[in-house]
Amino acid sequence: MSSHRSTPKDEFLDSVRNALGRQSGSPPKPPYLHLEETLAQLESQAQELEQRVSDNLDALLSELAETAQLRGWNVCRAANPEAAIGYVESVVTGLKVGQVVRSAQEVFDQVPVERALQNLGISVVAIARDDQHTRDQLRNEIIASGVGITGADYAVSETGSVVVMPRLGLSRLVSLVPPVHIALVRAQDVVENLDDVFLLRRLEYHRNGGDMGSYLNFITGPSRTADIEQTLVVGVHGPKEVHMVLLG
Amino acid sequence: MPQIKTQDFFDASALSIKDPELRQALQRVGTGFDNARREAIDEVSAEVWEQWRESARQIKEHTIDHLDYYLELLHDNVTKNGGQVHFARDAEQANAIVANLVKSKGVKIVTKGKSMVSEELSLNPVLEGLGTEVYETDLGEYIIQLANETPSHLVAPALHKTKAQVAQLFSDKLGVPYTDDIEEMARVAREALRGKFLAADMGISGANFLVAETGSLVIITNEGNGRLCTSAPRIHVGITGMEKVIPSLHDLAVFLRLLPRSATGQRLTSYMSMVSGPRRESDEDGPEEFHLVIVDNGRSKMLADPKLRESLYCIRCGACLNICPVYQKVGGHAYGWVYPGPIGAIVTPSLVGLKQAKDLPFASSLCGACREACPVKINIPRMLLHLRQELTESSEPAVNSTPALESILARCYTATMSHPTLLSMGTKLLKLLQIPVARNGRIQKAPFAPLSRWTRSRDLPAVPQRSFREIWRQELSGSNQSHQ
Repeated sequence: MSSHRSTPKDEFLDSVRNALGRQSGSPPKPPYLHLEETLAQLESQAQELEQRVSDNLDALLSELAETAQLRGWNVCRAANPEAAIGYVESVVTGLKVGQVVRSAQEVFDQVPVERALQNLGISVVAIARDDQHTRDQLRNEIIASGVGITGADYAVSETGSVVVMPRLGLSRLVSLVPPVHIALVRAQDVVENLDDVFLLRRLEYHRNGGDMGSYLNFITGPSRTADIEQTLVVGVHGPKEVHMVLLG
Repeated sequence: MPQIKTQDFFDASALSIKDPELRQALQRVGTGFDNARREAIDEVSAEVWEQWRESARQIKEHTIDHLDYYLELLHDNVTKNGGQVHFARDAEQANAIVANLVKSKGVKIVTKGKSMVSEELSLNPVLEGLGTEVYETDLGEYIIQLANETPSHLVAPALHKTKAQVAQLFSDKLGVPYTDDIEEMARVAREALRGKFLAADMGISGANFLVAETGSLVIITNEGNGRLCTSAPRIHVGITGMEKVIPSLHDLAVFLRLLPRSATGQRLTSYMSMVSGPRRESDEDGPEEFHLVIVDNGRSKMLADPKLRESLYCIRCGACLNICPVYQKVGGHAYGWVYPGPIGAIVTPSLVGLKQAKDLPFASSLCGACREACPVKINIPRMLLHLRQELTESSEPAVNSTPALESILARCYTATMSHPTLLSMGTKLLKLLQIPVARNGRIQKAPFAPLSRWTRSRDLPAVPQRSFREIWRQELSGSNQSHQ
């Protein structure tokens, strides 16, 4: 043993190296392709991706709607914001809830659900911190709500998933704690497949010098379990009912 | 570590096979999970499935061969995200790391997402010993925690329980009115745990994958409990084995395609959550602290043995359990520890010691179904044979446990088969001896042990009237040599 005190990390990695019959943890040769990609390469791949998606947008929207439905989403294709608002109204009134929470995302400028719901006597709370609202208060508002409405950062045709990336304005809990979740998806959010999402996240990560935010969630239908006798039950710890409103 | 009962495999199996409720539950493994898996594969086509498997295998092979490098990269990037990485050589160290966090951060309530590694470490009793309340929140894990049992399946831990048993358990332990309505029972669990999620100081999760490039922990879940455990408490601790790392976020896609399909036949689970450090300053919510505990606990032994290394490619989908004719008959508990089924028969001896688990490599018919079902093409039968060989070559009598009678019989057999006269005499003797018991060329009930044990479950073919040697001599050899 050398005289310097080795850390648990050193000891751990040393034992891995020993097991591999190796001296140092040098990078593999040849280098791993995807870890060698430069920002410029990722950007050009992302451009191709955007081109491909916009060339096939109609087909991708239809595929998304179809796959999402198979995965348990209630899908509404809304031709315009009014139709989207109308759908949200009908879902919320059908549920007879008193309070709805929503995230603070761009999509609500396009689809202002607030006024419509408030006209129906339903209170809508935007979950965003300010001087008046602490984290604890906002959490209590979410717990007290029957419906959570969010936008989507991506929607994936291959899997019928909505991807949300919690951050400023987008709580982790709005799409999780209320028993019903409504996701507003814009055409510009749509990508074809899983590879597309991960390419775009890697681009973001490397653009920001190694940060892509703390959290990312794929949501693919309602919460479900089959832990008792392999019998499917919908709605355990997450929402029992999920709606995807596709704009465009 | 949980109590190791691997040495009782054969006795435990004998009991399991006689349990009618378990048999019923195990039937659903094949009809439910495995059929769903096949349908999901058919949907994408066998060719595409094969390409995915091959590509996943190559990623795993590469990563495990450079595990030191990728663990270091992962460490650096988790740290850069603001998280803390802890390395634990064994269960004791891992439990001490979490226990210290619990003590130093004043944690009163812990909610846990499903984690097989925490079962392996037996973490719950350690935390409970500190006066902490620990709640398993995956429905299956919650059930077995209430029942004080261990998981019997990698994906569906309470698979061995009938709904009536769960109903009784809920009524006894939670004081709710008895109901065996499954939807109602899920609602009961939701209500019982909702308050715990929101009151918990610490959430503990496992990890399906760790992404070195971005320092991320990935969990794949259906119920939403994983999301709650990683979102609501002020501290999130991820605990997992060191083999879970993959190089790039790019690599995640193929595993997300393979894992849910192999596990439950789902195209994707309800949720995939990726944690890259604690909440950022501007985030609305999320844990203030993120700790990642990376566990060796015997895995470096598998890494060091080139013949066992590929067992570290396992993504814990459970497909090899669902298709295994042995698992389907005996269930998970017979394997005596945390990891059951074909992959468990390899991993367990490596983690608890081959001597302790010497029966497990024999808990297989070597039919090869597990290898075909494996989404990363792990050659399980080859490794089982390797472990068997190690056991037979071991000089330790406790390990090399071939009974004396078996050795004597084997020697007699060798002698007889290598001396034609002896063989011919032996055959004639057997023909005489079998007269009282042979009917229509079969012996249905042998009069004495050990043959009587054999005939308890199947017939023994009787020695035929004419042996092949005789037929050859008399009719087939082409010579007209008459019967001697």
